[in-house]
Amino acid sequence: MSDLDAFRIRAREWLQSVASEYGRAAQAGLSTEERLALGRHYLAARFDAGFAGINWPVEYGGQGLGHLEKVAFEAEEMVFGMPTAFFGISLGMPVPIIMRYCDDKPWVKERVLRALRGEEIWCQLFSEPAAGSDLAGLRMRAEPDGNGWKLNGQKLWTSWAQYCDYGVVVVRTDPTVPKHKGLTYFWVDMRAPGIEVRPVKLAGGDSHVNEVFFDDVRIDDSHRMSPVGGGFAVAMATLMIERYAATDSAGFGPHLDLFVDLAKTAKVNGRPALEDARIRSAIARNHAMRNSLDAITARAMLMMQAGMEPGPEGSLNKLVSVRSRQKLSELAIDLQGPLGLRFDEHAPVKHDWQASWINAPTGRIAGGADEMLLNTIAEKILGLPQDHRPDKGVPFNEIPA
Amino acid sequence: MSLLYDEGQQAIATEARRILEARLSDESLLPLLEKQGTYHAAFWDTAREQGWTALAIPEDYDGLGLGLVELGLIAHQAGRSLAGAPFLTASYGAARAIIDHGDEGLRSEWLPRLAAGEAIGAIAFGEDQDVLGTGTTFGRGAITGTKSGVTGGLHADVAIVLAADGGDAVLAAVPLAGVTRQGFDSFDNSRCSADLVFAAAPATEIARGDAAHRAALEILALQAVVTAHEQTGGAEMLMERARDYANTRRAFGQTIGSFQSVKHRIAEMYALVELARAGAIHAATREGQSDFIAAAASARIQATEAYDSCARDAMQIHGGIGVTWEAALHLHMRRTRSLAIEQGNMMFWEDILVERLAGEAA
Repeated sequence: MSDLDAFRIRAREWLQSVASEYGRAAQAGLSTEERLALGRHYLAARFDAGFAGINWPVEYGGQGLGHLEKVAFEAEEMVFGMPTAFFGISLGMPVPIIMRYCDDKPWVKERVLRALRGEEIWCQLFSEPAAGSDLAGLRMRAEPDGNGWKLNGQKLWTSWAQYCDYGVVVVRTDPTVPKHKGLTYFWVDMRAPGIEVRPVKLAGGDSHVNEVFFDDVRIDDSHRMSPVGGGFAVAMATLMIERYAATDSAGFGPHLDLFVDLAKTAKVNGRPALEDARIRSAIARNHAMRNSLDAITARAMLMMQAGMEPGPEGSLNKLVSVRSRQKLSELAIDLQGPLGLRFDEHAPVKHDWQASWINAPTGRIAGGADEMLLNTIAEKILGLPQDHRPDKGVPFNEIPA
Repeated sequence: MSLLYDEGQQAIATEARRILEARLSDESLLPLLEKQGTYHAAFWDTAREQGWTALAIPEDYDGLGLGLVELGLIAHQAGRSLAGAPFLTASYGAARAIIDHGDEGLRSEWLPRLAAGEAIGAIAFGEDQDVLGTGTTFGRGAITGTKSGVTGGLHADVAIVLAADGGDAVLAAVPLAGVTRQGFDSFDNSRCSADLVFAAAPATEIARGDAAHRAALEILALQAVVTAHEQTGGAEMLMERARDYANTRRAFGQTIGSFQSVKHRIAEMYALVELARAGAIHAATREGQSDFIAAAASARIQATEAYDSCARDAMQIHGGIGVTWEAALHLHMRRTRSLAIEQGNMMFWEDILVERLAGEAA
C-alpha cells in the first residue's frame, strides 16, 4: 500500500469516527448559526486529530504534507458532507495568502492557528457591483491618510462576510494609470469602524453572500500586502493559490446514482422511466462525461504523484460538470411530475434536485463564469486571440463608464 | 495499469505520428472515396511494416504481446491522419476472438498470419439494423445467412460470425475464401464494407449460448475502445485545424478567432477532445476488469460525441472553403459516421451502459 493510500484510509477512519457528531445527518434541521457553531467544533476536532492544513507548513500548525494528501482528504471529507462551507474561502485563499505576503510572522501564525481551528474566519473582498469577471475594473478606493490609508467604496458577493473576523481586499489607489496598475492589496479587520455588512439573499433563498460597505475606514500601512500599485499580481496569486482542490464531476450537485434511483421509481406515461429512451440516454451521456472527468482527475493525481505538473485539461471540470448538473437537475424535477413542484430551500444541494437546480446558476458564475473559462481555454491553452479590449492601456479615470 | 503513458508508449505514439504524417495525405485519400472497395495501400503496408498488425497478438504467435493501450496510441494517430484502411481494428477484433475463445488449431492457423498482416480479419455481427444479429444460422459446422455492412468485408480472409443454432447463440470463425461478398456504394468507401452472404460456409464454433453473447459484446467493446481512440484523434485534428484557420483567416479587420462565437466554439471542441481522450485511455486500462464494458461504453459515447461535434463545428468555422471537396474536411465528416456505426451505434452503447448502471445486466 502506498503512503497516500494509507493516509486516505487513516483519514476515512477518523471521518467515520466523527460522522455521527458532525456529518450530514447531524446538520439536518439546524439553523445557519447552529451549523456554523457545529462547523467551528468540527474544525477544532479536525485540528486536534492532525488533519488541519494538510499541505501547510508544520510551523503554522499544518501537517507539512503534499497536495495529493490535501486533495485526498477533501475528497473523503466531501463524502460525509462535513460542515466546512463557512471556512472554504477562508482556508482556501486569504489565509494561505497572508502566510505568503504578510511580514509580521508571529501575528500571521496566531491568525493561521485560529483560522485552522475555526475560531476566526477570513473573507475575500474582491468583486464589486461593476467589477466581477473584469476584476481590474474595480472602483473601491484607498487614499493616503497620515501614515496609513482611508478606504471608501463597496464590495459585493463577499461569501460569509457576516461571520468574518478579517478580510483581504483589493482597492484602487491610483485612478490615473491603466486599470491593472492602480490597485493595491490590504488586509482589514472586519470589525473596524466604518465597515457595514449587508447579506444579499440569493435566488435559492439563502444569504451566504454579502454587500460590504466601507465608509472612511482607516487602516495602518502595515496592512498593505503588495507594493502600492502592485495589488493585481497579489489578487491573481490569491485566485491561483488553491490550484489543488478536490473536484466533483457531479458539479457539486447530486450524484448520478440518485438520478438512476429516481428513474427506477418514476413513470413516464405509465411506463417505468428507466425504460424510456430519453431517460436512458441522459443517464448514459452524463455517466460517460463524468467518467471522463474522473479520469482526468485521476490522471492529474498520478502526474502529481510522479512529480509532474498536471495538464491544463483539469480546468474543464467546473465548466463541464456544473452545466451538466444544471440540465440534469431540470430533468430530474420534470421526472417527478407534480411531486417535483415541492421545494425545501434548506435541502442540501448534493442530495436534492430542486436545491441543486435553483443554485446551479450561481455555480456557473461564481469562481469564474463559463464565458471566462472558455476565454481562458481559448487564449491560454489554444493560443487564440484575446478579446477586443478598448480599455487596454487607457488610464482608469478615462475609460468611458 | 496506469493512466500515464510510459516512455515506450510515448515513443510508439511519436513514431506513429511521424510516419503517418509523412505517408498519408488528404490528396491521396480523396480518390478512394470515388471507387468502391479501394483502400490506401501505403497505409496498410506501413501498418504491417511497423508491426502494428502484430502489436496486440501474443509473442507465441509471432506478435508483440502488447495490448489495448498501445493499439489505442496507433489508433489515435490513425484517427488524426485518417486511417487509409479499417483493417487494424477489424483484424484486432478477429484476433482477440481467436486468442480468447479459439482452440490451438485456430490460433496457429490464423494468429501468425494476422500478426504479419498477411491475413485480414473481420467481425460479422450485424444484420440489417441490428448490431448483434442472430438470424444467421449455424449447424453441422457451417454458417448460412447474410451479415450486413461488415467493415473490411471486401478484403477479409476470416470473419468472426455471430449466429444461432436453434435457441443457442453461436460464435464461429469462418474462412471467407468461398463466401460471397456484396459491396455497396458508401459515403466512406475506403472502409471496404460488404454484406457477407454465407451459404453453408464451413465454420469453427468458438463459443456457444450465454458465453457466445458475452464474447460478442466483449469483442465489440475491445474494438470500441480502439475506435474511441481513433475518434479522439480525428476530433483532435479537427479542433487543431479549426484553431489554425481561426488564427489566420481575417474578416472585419481581425482574425475570426477574435470573435467569441468562434473562439468559444473551439474551446468547446477542446473540452470534448479532452473528455474523449480521458475516457478512451481510462477504458484501455480497464481491460479484463469487471467494469470494462461500462468503461468501454462510456469511452465510445464520449468519443462519438466529440468527433461528431468537432466535424460539425470545424466545417462551420471554415465557412465556404470548408465545404469544398479539396479542403477535405468532409473526409473527417464521412469518417465520423462510419466510425459511429461500426462497433455499434450510440443507441446500442447507451443501452449497454444503462443496463450496467441500473443493475439490469445479468
